[in-house]
Amino acid sequence: MREIDDLPHVGVLVRNNVHVSGNAAGRPMVFAHGFGCSQEMWRAVVPEFEADYRIVLFDHVGAGGSDLVQYDYGKYDSLHGYADDLLDLLEELDLRDVVFVGHSVSSMIGVLAEIRSPERFGALALICPSPRYINDGDYAGGFDQGEIEGLLDALDANYLGWSATMAPVIMGNLDRPQLGQELTTSFCKTDPDIASHFAHVTFLSDNRRDLARVSTPALIVQSANDVIAPLPVGQYVHRKIVGSSLVVLPTSGHCPNLSDPSLLAAAIRAYLK
Amino acid sequence: MTEHGSFRAPGPGDAEFETPAELYDQAPCGLLSTTPDGIVTEVNATLLRWTGHSRASMLGTPFEQLLTTGSRLFYETRYLPILRLAGEVREAALTLRCVSGESLPVLVNSTTRFGTDATPRLVSTAIFDSTQRHNLERELLNARRAAEASETHVRALQDASTAFGTCESEAAVAAALEHSARQAFRATAVAVLLFDGAGGVRLAAGRHPLFDGSAGIAQGGPEAEALSNGRAVTVVNGADAEARFPDVVGALRAARIEGLSTVPIIGMERTLGLLTCFYGRQRDLDDDRLALQMALALQAAQVFERVSLHAELANLALYDSLTGLANRSLLQHSLNAALLLAARHRSRLAVIFMDLDGFKAVNDGLGHLAGDAVLEEIAHRLRDVVRGSDTLARFGGDEFVVICEDIGVDEARGLAERIRLAVRQPLVGISASFAVTASVGIALHEPVDGSAMSTAEILKAADSAMYASKCAGRDHITVASV
Repeated sequence: MREIDDLPHVGVLVRNNVHVSGNAAGRPMVFAHGFGCSQEMWRAVVPEFEADYRIVLFDHVGAGGSDLVQYDYGKYDSLHGYADDLLDLLEELDLRDVVFVGHSVSSMIGVLAEIRSPERFGALALICPSPRYINDGDYAGGFDQGEIEGLLDALDANYLGWSATMAPVIMGNLDRPQLGQELTTSFCKTDPDIASHFAHVTFLSDNRRDLARVSTPALIVQSANDVIAPLPVGQYVHRKIVGSSLVVLPTSGHCPNLSDPSLLAAAIRAYLK
Repeated sequence: MTEHGSFRAPGPGDAEFETPAELYDQAPCGLLSTTPDGIVTEVNATLLRWTGHSRASMLGTPFEQLLTTGSRLFYETRYLPILRLAGEVREAALTLRCVSGESLPVLVNSTTRFGTDATPRLVSTAIFDSTQRHNLERELLNARRAAEASETHVRALQDASTAFGTCESEAAVAAALEHSARQAFRATAVAVLLFDGAGGVRLAAGRHPLFDGSAGIAQGGPEAEALSNGRAVTVVNGADAEARFPDVVGALRAARIEGLSTVPIIGMERTLGLLTCFYGRQRDLDDDRLALQMALALQAAQVFERVSLHAELANLALYDSLTGLANRSLLQHSLNAALLLAARHRSRLAVIFMDLDGFKAVNDGLGHLAGDAVLEEIAHRLRDVVRGSDTLARFGGDEFVVICEDIGVDEARGLAERIRLAVRQPLVGISASFAVTASVGIALHEPVDGSAMSTAEILKAADSAMYASKCAGRDHITVASV
């Protein structure tokens, strides 16, 4: 199907740091994290579903506890590479009737996987999705090209300080205890090059045309005040996925899974009823 | 508390006295409190002075609204998740938007303060002006990006060069080229297409989502255009493909390919093939990138030609250049191996020796060119009648030899008969008065004691049997057991 040169074969469960919990007899619910963090993002949401659902958490390759050695720049140069991994995961665990909960860019990864293997999916919950971040003619994605480049600069500016050789030069404070830093890296550790590449893939992709090909029932959850995926983007996704439902949470920010986990869980639960 | 003998803390009324409130307000850094959701609840004068905001306009505003858009994206996707998960963030690099329209690079530390019930109550943030550090960083960053870009270029060519150095075959060169291009361009797939001498094209290495071996290169596609103008052709995204290459849009979409870049691999005398990179998303295919792809293709072209020359030379030493059959030296080698194998397995082996009757007359009467044509035609017919496992060689002049392993007398005789009949068929373009037939001798060898017969012995036996057929009136078969 694809090739990775000179890499040892590693199963998807190790490669993607897969964790299965919850009700072993329940309907499978797969959570996929967005750009910038790891499966930790779902920490407060998972308990809301553990009693009834078989919970599957994983990290995208390059994030969290995934096997960084498996990061192939060719494969992960588009969201299709991540969709391949998601399908590998569903196949390995032989999951059917899956409730897929994808945050941010993972919404689109889920959409791409669903188009290829709709028989595996029972419902999609797309949290703050955006099929394209950059404005294009009538389409208002929320950003112009220069602003996205500003993000890529911001990333580089932040990760520059992460580089072991660069840090002492710039910071000049080697003696300060790095407690906070350690916490940070263990929660959402990432390799600077990979983070930059993932940012390019996330924010420069255009998946608008794929939306119309989704056939699984889909719930779109928007945050009322989200600079990354503003309301018109959610409405656009809702229009393009025929039969989808749109719920706007009275929340601020792009990560209701962290800021308002109960509200988010309630919205998903209500949709699945 | 330690008390310094001579130290007296300044108190109200002293010139050097500063209240904690004054310290807060005039601190050499911006200070800010927000709700856990990021709404500003308190701000010091320093930060107001830096940004130009009034206190009233700032209170009640989401902190992220003070950021440039690029910083806001970082704030939402990384800063906030870490703050919520870890409780604090250290030295995040953000950029503030000032009322004047200018931007202010800052470093930010944030700590969440929790209530007794462990729920977050507020977030305290300290903001440091990092203009100077920022400028230094920008310089470092730009230098690093430039260095990386040029390093990528040089390293890709060096890696390819190292890989090519050890290549002995066309397949190995193609594989090394595919690997180098995939690494250098972070391409979803790379294909190396090569032309054969007869105008056909095949996938020599990699994966080509659009290529159908039987149909060749898609007409009206980017690769056809690259071949016709000898230059690089790129497709940046689906809309570009729709506008310029409508014939291949469907295939691209089905293969989940958004863009591609293709360059011809141009050799000294002809175009050898194409190097095509496929991308799963819209990519910025700038001139530097294309220049590198062309440089890789050029480097590969030279290596393709080197290995092809070697193969040709090796071929010349083992095959007869007129008929393409094994020559005498390859025949010796193959026969030796076959005899050893026959001895080891006690299996039977036949050597069929064949000499053309009437060939000298063709050569003398119609010329060498006609003679050569006859030899080529006979070689072609022999190829059609021998078994797939047989070795067919031109022994010299108008003499041919077939090595048949693991064969019985009846089967060997049957094969000789097919040869005899094939040779005596009329030759197109040559008068019937120049009839050509075959005198055939079979040396049938059945090993008994494990010691191998020599190639000279068995060839001599087959030659003698052939001679017996000549004496018997030509167009004849003689079998000898040895």
